[in-house]
Order: sequence, then structure tokens, then C-alpha cells
Amino acid sequence: MNPTVELANVYLLALPEIVLTLSACLLFLAGTFRQNRHFWAMKSLGILGAAAFILALPFYRQPVDPLFALQAPNMVQPIVLDRLALLLKIVALIGGAVLVLFSWNEVSDDLAAEYHACLLVIIAGVGLSAMANDLIILFLALEMISIPTYVILYLQKTDLGAREAAAKYFLLSVFSTGLLLFGFSYLYGLCGTTNITALLDGLRSTDAGRLPLIALVALVMVVAGLGFKITAVPFHFYAPDVYQGTSLTSAALLAFVPKVAGFAALLRVLDFVWPGNRPPGVALGTQAPILFWILAAMTMTVGNVLALLQDNLKRILAYSSVAHAGYMLIGLATAPELAHQAAAVGGGQAVVFYLVSYGAMTVGAFAVLAYLSTPQAPIETVDDLAGVSRSHPAVALMMAIFLFSLIGMPLTAGFAGKFFLFLGALEVRPEQAVLFRCLALIAALNAAAGAWYYLRIIAAMYLRTPLRAIDKPATWPGLAAIAVCAAITVALGVYPTPLLQAAKAAVGQ
Amino acid sequence: MQSFDLATYYPIFIFLVFVLGFAVTAMAMAHLVGPARKTPVKQMPYESGMDPVGDARQHFDVKFYLIAILFLVFDVELLFLYPWAAMAYREGNEALLPAELRGPVFVVVLVFLATLAIGYVYAWRKGVFQWR
Repeated sequence: MNPTVELANVYLLALPEIVLTLSACLLFLAGTFRQNRHFWAMKSLGILGAAAFILALPFYRQPVDPLFALQAPNMVQPIVLDRLALLLKIVALIGGAVLVLFSWNEVSDDLAAEYHACLLVIIAGVGLSAMANDLIILFLALEMISIPTYVILYLQKTDLGAREAAAKYFLLSVFSTGLLLFGFSYLYGLCGTTNITALLDGLRSTDAGRLPLIALVALVMVVAGLGFKITAVPFHFYAPDVYQGTSLTSAALLAFVPKVAGFAALLRVLDFVWPGNRPPGVALGTQAPILFWILAAMTMTVGNVLALLQDNLKRILAYSSVAHAGYMLIGLATAPELAHQAAAVGGGQAVVFYLVSYGAMTVGAFAVLAYLSTPQAPIETVDDLAGVSRSHPAVALMMAIFLFSLIGMPLTAGFAGKFFLFLGALEVRPEQAVLFRCLALIAALNAAAGAWYYLRIIAAMYLRTPLRAIDKPATWPGLAAIAVCAAITVALGVYPTPLLQAAKAAVGQ
Repeated sequence: MQSFDLATYYPIFIFLVFVLGFAVTAMAMAHLVGPARKTPVKQMPYESGMDPVGDARQHFDVKFYLIAILFLVFDVELLFLYPWAAMAYREGNEALLPAELRGPVFVVVLVFLATLAIGYVYAWRKGVFQWR
């Protein structure tokens, strides 16, 4: 094919991301002329809507089933619009819109344009990392998420805690990027290509037992580099300090966006997507499930145990995000075995499902805190929420929904997600059954322990008398963000099938 | 895919041993053999031959950093444009870029320049060029 046409096709696939990035550039420029948070938040919503429209446009003519018109990744294209990419791009755009609504009144007038421009670049980065079929594009997409995040961390608050948070996140993120690139360089050295499909094809054609030792080094380095983004345990240290130091909007962003991009990258690079008739996730070594087993057990245990000791709400949610990363890692550990025995719900599928549910409930919980906070009287500790059910009954109910979902109560998204993950661990065939039943047991114990610190917040909201009056005027964007998150949380809990099917199609198993 | 054999890299290990050995030996020899006469001048911190003045930890005005970063706008521009200009339009055997890709690459270079220009205008509008 003519290389110019080929290039144009590749650019067409990334059209929503190009629109987002160009609009962000315009926002940076125009923000120096006009400073008004309502104006820029409105524009930003409009731009996200335009990107969603462009994303939906090619499927307008094929009303039968757009999902099957999508292509599988091939060995030529650096980016690819397969089902996983499409699903994660939709998630990113919805998440972006919720974050815009959520931060509507949280940013100051003079920084609103910059804040929203950075947010648009981050959303474009998530879309691009979901589409990446090339190690270099994947790396650039992850940097497109990281670099605006550094800016956002420093933009909204510049007190000592925020400065510490920004510096800590910057340095550790750069370090993790180094680890990731080190792993990528070994992958390139092994196969002589940066195209992920070609690379995995090369690795698959080698007998699993005869993979060189260096593949294992690449596996460990890639998992370590991406482990920082998903706050897996040895790489979680930054999370509580950064969440506590920064604003609630940035904390919500950090809890949601890097996890989506990190898990998307893990699924793609480690061969969980489109495995064909091969077991997923073991292209870089048969030891991968054990690595994820250990990471999952450590991550959920450390996250939940340390969350028990916290009194600051942001730190509780930070450790809770660590714990939930642990639950999701179960899916990666069980994926090869489950695909082998053709289980009803595969590992990768459960991870994608949980990622969406987790995003809705965590961003929702942060949005409630932001909705009730004022600069003079921020909601920081559990005590600050005491008696909220009397002054703000509706918001307290929403918060209770998010917290029950984080615990994993039935009829919420958190229950459905945990159910699919834990069920997967229990279903593993007899040879490995003991190992993975142990993992399911650890997960169940963790979910029970985790209930304590979430229930503590609910008890404070409903059973205690207010320590101080929370008098914040109602703002519709904040309420809208909370409502969208609550709707997704409940809808996925009551009727999980559509997303579960989409997730199954996304990982191609 | 070629199998990986650590033995093929033995020159690198010999090199590493040699480099480390040389560094350690040189430092150890200087420490053991060299005379150590501690005069006040020798004990001073070395600042490129100048007498050290004051504490090294002091505040610098942020405008110096801004100017240094803005210099990068032009520096990176040159760094990127020069190899492209030198390589893209070679003819015949020396051609590095297929002729039909010249147009798209030219557009990419324009996009790059536009990106830098946006950064430049942003800095200008934010008043970075005012020396306050």
C-alpha cells in the first residue's frame, strides 16, 4: 500500500485524540485572554463531546453490531482500534467528562483554562495508550498522561504539602518510567521489533520452556514500571502522601486515570489481549501468573491493613485504591488457567470490568468529599463527615452507595466485580486449585477487613451528631458528577451483563 | 529469534573489570603513595579557582530558570530541524526518506513548529519576557 495512505489511516484512528490535543493547545493560548472557570469547564465538556462524536462516527453506518467491524491488532500498524481500545476510549471520555464536572468549581478562575487543557491531554493519553500497538507509542502515551499530571498536581495548590506531593510523584514517576523503558529495551533486544503484535508473535513461536532468561528480566521490569501506575505494593509508597497533599480533584484523577492506562498497558504488552488459541499472559515466561499471585496477595493485604490505621479520608481512599489494585491483579494471575479451561468469566475480562466499576465508585467518593468541602473548612478526617446525613441526606446516601460498593455489597458494581474476580480464582482446575483457592481466601479475608474502615465512614455519617455545620451552597456540576458515578455504580451492580460482554469481546477470549 | 548467550558478551565484562580496577587502583595509589600535606588553601572547597563566598544553598530568582527553559524552545527547534533539513531531501543512493513520505514528514515538522510556537506565545502572554 502507498505509505502516505497508510499513514493517513493511522492518523484517522487517532482522530479523537488529535482533536483533544489540538483543543488543549487552543485552551492554553486562549486561557491567557479569558479567565473564567465556568466558561472553560463548559468548553472542555464540549470538546470531550466532540471527541466522543468523532469516535462514534464510523459506527453510524453499521447499525448491526459495530463491535465486530473492528479489526484485530496487526504487525504493521503502530496504533489499532480494536474492541479493548474502543471500550477504554469510551471509559476515558466518560471519566474525563465526570472529572470536568467534578472540578468545575474546585479550580480557580485564573487557572481554569490550564487545568482543563491538561485534563484533555491526559484523556487523549489514556485513549492513545489503549490503542497503542507499539512500545514507543505506548511509552509516549503514558508520558502524555504523566507530564500533564505533574502540572495539575502543582497547579491547584501550592502549599507545603502540595509541593511535597508534586515533587514526590514527579521523582517516583520518572524512576518508574526508567524501569519501564529498561524492560521495553530488553523486549526490543529479544525480538528486534517494537510492534507489540509482532513481538508477542515472536515470543509465542518459541517454546515456553526455552525462553531466554532475559525475557524474565523484561517481564519483571515491565511489571515494576507499570506497577507504579497501578499502585501495586512495592511501588505504592507515594500514593497516601501524594493524595493527602494534593487537592481532591487531583487525587481522584490519580486514583482513576493511571490505573486505566497501567492495566491497559499490562493487558497489551503481556499478551492478555487477542491470545488466539494460546494461554494469555505467559508469553514472557510461565512464571508470570505466580508473579501476579504474589503481587496481588501483597497489594491487597498491605493496602487494607494500612487503611485500617488511617484517620484522614484521603489516606483511607489512597490505601483503598492500593487494595483494589490488588483485587484486580487476581484477574491477571488467574487469566492463563481460566482461558485454558474455557471458564465463563475470564481473568482479563474480570479485570476490565472491575476497572470500570472501581473508577465509578472511587471518583464518586472523591466527588462527594469535594462537594462537601470548602476552602475554609475542608473535609479531611472521618470526624469531619460526622452527621452529614442530617444536613445533606441525598449526598450522604450517594456516599453510602460508593462505600458499600467499595466494600462489595450486593447490588453494587463493587460486588459484581469482586464476584467475577474471586469466582475466577476458585474455578482454577485441580492441579493449581490449592494455590488459587488460597488467593481467593486471602482476597475474601481482605474484603472483610476492608469493610471496617469503609463502615466507619458510613457510621460517622449516619450515627454521629455533627461536630460542625457543613454549609456549602449546592452546585449542580458537583452533584451531576456524583449522580453519574452513582448511576454507573448501581447500574453495573444490578445489570452487569452488557459491560461483562463488552469486556469479554475486548480481551478477545 | 536468536538464543541469548551470556558468553558472547565477555569483552564487556573484561572491560568492566578493567575500568573498575583502574579507578580503584588509581584512587588507592593516590591515597597510599601521594604525600598528604593539609594546608588551609588545599582544604578549601574548590570553586573553579575562585575563593568560595557564602553558602551554596541560597535562593535564586525564578526568572533565571524561566529564561533558561525558554531557551530550550529555540534550542530543541534547531536540534530537530537541522537533521531533518540535512537528510530529508537527499536524492538517489543517499536518499533516506521515500519520496512519497516527504510531504507527510514536512507536515509533521510544521506541526512540531506550531507546537513550539504555541508554547512561545503562551509564555509571552503570561509575561515571562518582562524582566521584573
